[in-house]
Amino acid sequence: MRGTTRKVAVAAVSAVALLAAGCGGGDGDSSDSAAAGAEGGEITIRGCNPENTLVAGNTAETCGGDVLNVLISTLVHYDPESAEPSNDIAESIETDDNQNFTVKIKQGYMFHDGTEVKAKNFVDAWNYTAFGPNGQEGSYFMSVIEGAEEVGAEDSTTEEMSGLAVVDDYTFTIKTTEKVSNLPIRLGYTAFAPQPDSFFEDPEAFGKNPVGAGPYKFDSWTENQAIVVSKFADYAGEFGGNVDQITFRIFQDSGAAYSEVVAGNLDLTDDIPTSALIDNIYQSDLPDRNAAKATSYYGYIGINPEVDKDLSNPDVRRAISMAIDRQQIVDTVYNGTYTPATGWVSPVVDGYQADVCGESCVFDPEAAKAMLEEAGGFPGDKLTLSYNADSDHKAWTEATCNSIKNTLEIDCVATPLVDFSTFLTKLSDREMKGLFRSAWVMDYPSIENYLGPIYGKGAGSNYFDYDSDEFNSLLSQAAGAEDLEEANSLYQQAEQVLAQDFPTIPLWYGESKAGWSERVDNVVITPFGRPDLRVLTVSE
Amino acid sequence: MTETSRHVTDGEDVAPTDDSQRAMVDETLRAEGDIGEARSLTQDAWRQLRRSPLFWVSAAMITVFVLMAVAPSLFTSLDPAKGDLSRSRETPNAAAWFGRDLQGYDIFARCIYGARASILVGVFATLGTSVVGSVTGMLAGYFGGLADTLISRIGDIFFAIPLLLGAIVFLSSFRGDDPGYFQVVFQVVLVLVVFGWPSIMRLMRSSVLQIKPNDYVSAARALGASPVRILRSHVFPNAVAPVIVVSTINLGVYIAVEATLSFLGIGLIPPTISWGVMVSDGLPLLRASPHVLLFPAVFLSLAVLAFIMFGDAVRDAFDPKSR
Repeated sequence: MRGTTRKVAVAAVSAVALLAAGCGGGDGDSSDSAAAGAEGGEITIRGCNPENTLVAGNTAETCGGDVLNVLISTLVHYDPESAEPSNDIAESIETDDNQNFTVKIKQGYMFHDGTEVKAKNFVDAWNYTAFGPNGQEGSYFMSVIEGAEEVGAEDSTTEEMSGLAVVDDYTFTIKTTEKVSNLPIRLGYTAFAPQPDSFFEDPEAFGKNPVGAGPYKFDSWTENQAIVVSKFADYAGEFGGNVDQITFRIFQDSGAAYSEVVAGNLDLTDDIPTSALIDNIYQSDLPDRNAAKATSYYGYIGINPEVDKDLSNPDVRRAISMAIDRQQIVDTVYNGTYTPATGWVSPVVDGYQADVCGESCVFDPEAAKAMLEEAGGFPGDKLTLSYNADSDHKAWTEATCNSIKNTLEIDCVATPLVDFSTFLTKLSDREMKGLFRSAWVMDYPSIENYLGPIYGKGAGSNYFDYDSDEFNSLLSQAAGAEDLEEANSLYQQAEQVLAQDFPTIPLWYGESKAGWSERVDNVVITPFGRPDLRVLTVSE
Repeated sequence: MTETSRHVTDGEDVAPTDDSQRAMVDETLRAEGDIGEARSLTQDAWRQLRRSPLFWVSAAMITVFVLMAVAPSLFTSLDPAKGDLSRSRETPNAAAWFGRDLQGYDIFARCIYGARASILVGVFATLGTSVVGSVTGMLAGYFGGLADTLISRIGDIFFAIPLLLGAIVFLSSFRGDDPGYFQVVFQVVLVLVVFGWPSIMRLMRSSVLQIKPNDYVSAARALGASPVRILRSHVFPNAVAPVIVVSTINLGVYIAVEATLSFLGIGLIPPTISWGVMVSDGLPLLRASPHVLLFPAVFLSLAVLAFIMFGDAVRDAFDPKSR
């Protein structure tokens, strides 16, 4: 997930969580009795304007993603607490060689329009998403499937990926371009949702009146005001919702939504404004009705040594890293909620190893100065730290620059660029000099997601022109590994290569917060950073 | 007689009398009309101004602000760009008189250094609108016909676009990547001039239309003076008073608009220090550390107030009806 606006994948309730939420009647029978005490009711929560219409393959931001998360089901779902994947629509996903996968789906899964979910609904949906002329935002996720490159070209005439084949109504096969040992984990992402036949007739109209196979069905969407979904009676899966109706009230401003929650007019917001975060004001505004959870957000500073020769020496980059007082910045700007990074991978994912960065990521003014001196000093006269001004990055970039300036006596200036698209364009055109802000939110819970898409040769988010043979070969070895454990250990070695080459400067791991009214209960923030709407209950 | 009248009106070396009495004497003398030398509107205004406390108070404040803009180091020896994160949000104390903001910057030093951007924007935007507006207004009013139609309609187009909306569109689309200090300031000035000149143009035009039929203009034309000469020596000096008045009031308004734009994140941008940016940065801290917002807001209000008061005093002086 590039930068700030990438969508966060779906996560669902496990039967255990449902039990825990219930009244605990004691006969330990089924989730039915447990859920009975908590079901029903209507709630209103904070929403925001989806960027596009509500099409799973074309939604790459959280505003539309939050709604889609309850409307759709995917092959795999992630546990709300741990992001552990388990089968949802999938009966089984099997492979012998990590390249040819056979997917069997459960029978009886229904779309909201009454049709059954079949294998071709997946295959057609993925082909549609991958097809270049359709311009779907989720096409990037299809790129692992064989034939995606040809189908994804802007003027492509081939509409079907060669790597997908329907075997029968409930079975289809996937062939990937190369070995991808963690493919089953990736399939829980929203872009991999099935689409009903009605979708392909008129995708535009469908997006305004979406149909999925999720626990909630779409009711209405009043532009700029609200999106309403209600419980789908024929939902066949095991990850259903508790609340009868959810209204996403659309807010432009996080402050307004927050005030409404404090006043009791809104039931949940996942966007606590900075003004309430300072000195933990939100904790006294909403006593016992707030939660914080470490998420997959990972902030770092990007550098392209090809574009800015001043920074081509890894030791200069390391010296800059050691000049950043991460703890102080986290304490002041993020009010102590973020955690200084010790490596290139977030602790929430499978395969995380502690302290890869070592003392290069620890603030040490003396050592930083010595390191810079040894590396021959900083050749330029001014260092910039660029950020996109349409999001909340000013405070930390300025603080980071001041930390570098005060320690190394390099004139460091936090430089805003108008918006995220300008920022990305400049990165893609290889015009960005100096340091630039970067961040990553996982698409699927695997260490690989923090390495391959960012530092792989020619990868979509490799804005650093990082190209290490050792790193690339470790990645492909890991992709073809026998089991997950072996794969993870190879990925960990790849991360250690990053520690030597120091292509980017790790900063911190993020945390998400939510606040809610007295009416709701059992708010769980997923490792993706969003409150899980399926486990939510009404407390009355 | 002349001598006496001047003494009385100047009022400095006569025995103190109470105000109403002095005003009466003044009034009587003026009513007699032909006593005293002939005075131009400007001279008249200056006499009026000298006796206005509003003028002196605002002039004093403006002097202080201008001095801050020209030589900030007179007021503080601290570096406004020196951030000390460990002292973030410190409340006012002996070392940092106004306390420190989130980045640990000294708020007092930044308030002082922030004056430069605001005053620069205010002064240059005022000068720009006055020059463009006066010239176009004079041309439109004096020549009439096609020139008038053309200029007035173009003015209407710009007048129809709301200033803030226009500025947001303009600044967000034409901003370069790494603008320097003066580039940033002059972009904002340019926007204010582009969207501010029509009001001055209209004012000047109507003022010229009033002056044009006067005998002295006809006389000058009869004597064969060129249009440029007539405009420069006869029309302009007599028509400029309202423009001066409105411009001085606008100066305060422009400072406020600059702060608004900076607050919205599209006016002045860091590392330029400006009150608008400081207010914008201080807003999220309002509940926890109100002083971060308070001090730049006070500076901004005082500066805008000073210029508007100044404009008010000038208007009173130039407008014969208000006496």
